[in-house]
Amino acid sequence: MSSGPILEMKGVSMSYGQRTLFKDFTLDLHRNEIIGISGESGSGKSTLLRIAVDLVTPTEGEIVFQGKDVKDWNPQELRKCIILVPQEASMFPGTVRDNLLWGLKIHDQDASDEELEAIMEEVNLSGEYLDRVAENLSGGEKQRIAIARALLLEPCGLLLDEPTSALDEKSTLAVEKTVKGLLESRDIGVLVVTHNREQAERFTDRVIEVTTGEEVYYNAD
Amino acid sequence: MQTDFDLFQAILDFVQNLDPEVYDAAFSYAAAMVLLVGLIALSRWQKIGITEKLIIGTARGTIQIILMALILLEIFALENLVLIFGLLIFMALFAAHTSRSNLDDIPGVFRAGAPAILVGGLTVMVISVLLGVVKPVGEYIIPMGGMVIGNAMGINSLVMERMWSNAQKQRSLMETALALGATPLQATNMTIRESIRSGLLPNLNRYASLGIVSIPGLMSGMIIGGTPVLAAALYQVIIFVMIFLACIVSGLIASRIFLQEMFNERAQITVPPPEA
Repeated sequence: MSSGPILEMKGVSMSYGQRTLFKDFTLDLHRNEIIGISGESGSGKSTLLRIAVDLVTPTEGEIVFQGKDVKDWNPQELRKCIILVPQEASMFPGTVRDNLLWGLKIHDQDASDEELEAIMEEVNLSGEYLDRVAENLSGGEKQRIAIARALLLEPCGLLLDEPTSALDEKSTLAVEKTVKGLLESRDIGVLVVTHNREQAERFTDRVIEVTTGEEVYYNAD
Repeated sequence: MQTDFDLFQAILDFVQNLDPEVYDAAFSYAAAMVLLVGLIALSRWQKIGITEKLIIGTARGTIQIILMALILLEIFALENLVLIFGLLIFMALFAAHTSRSNLDDIPGVFRAGAPAILVGGLTVMVISVLLGVVKPVGEYIIPMGGMVIGNAMGINSLVMERMWSNAQKQRSLMETALALGATPLQATNMTIRESIRSGLLPNLNRYASLGIVSIPGLMSGMIIGGTPVLAAALYQVIIFVMIFLACIVSGLIASRIFLQEMFNERAQITVPPPEA
């Protein structure tokens, strides 16, 4: 297995007309690492994650995934290997099971009930949730279902956009526990947008400020 | 001066020689304008935003249908299939143009709608004529083609409007689908299917209540025109099947072409977010 970064963002800048969101942003994401992205509201943190999976093209800069420029990747293949979980954790119509299988079906894959129950356990939810209507779940449960839905595709990178921004403390800790557990159970790298410094220090390895590109926190442990 | 007098006399003669039923219809038309005024008032009060379209549509529609009525007998008598289908092509293009006018804030409606209505509408008409379902004369092809094309136009407008507005209002869900590696078609398939179903619903209701609640126009017209009642009834079922087929085919084609207006080659959403 290569020890190089799975994701490299080199000198990435983003502007909308006259307005510059960030400039010359650089980052390397390795396996078994959680990097936090911090910044003011409207500073382009979410845009940065969209750029990483080629949902948005930056004004300048290069994005390399597993040694290959994202422009040379088939967009569908790229987004199966490194998955963005948007902030809203949107659910497709139907049950939790329908939602978990949605991502697999578009790639002509399937999963057994045992596999679905195992993935639910990994995100700290019981198998009883499988037949519940996804839209009726709480924010924290939806976030974990969205993470489970992504994990079923066995990505090597996971990009989480403010996964706990709308959650209470209990749900926040549950999502954090889930994300930390992923590093132990899977060989993946995680990029997480957060504006909560305390949270960042609690569960990321380092934090990079999006506007300045500076490392504002490093967890030596 | 002499010429003016002759023209005036000609118009006077034309009006005097009109069938008394035309006078009755003109009076009814004038009275119906009261309903239109009520409709406009209701639209403005509830801010439905169709006032301008109602006024222009009434004026334009009246002129169009009168011109069509004046040449209808000639058109119905047509037996040259090239001319008949030429007229259907014109109707399909005009339908696509109408869609574009009604969805003027959405790009690419004509580009997607014209081929969809042409292929969906005309294919159904050609197959129907070849199978002997529809008699190969203007009297049958033109009105039935008009219904098929009109309904295809309605479905196309609905499909494209829903696809565009969902990309704005349910952007997060669409982005979630793309972020899981969905193609643009996979990310919008649910919207396409729902809008085709919604578009077919009024006709499905009429179809289900055929003869009990609804006495549709084609059958009524044929009976008034002297066609045996049983034949008119069978033609009514036939036209519904043709309409459903044309709607589904053209809705599917329009949606596929319209995807190019919503996504770029990197499968990124190009629909701007809704204005605040």
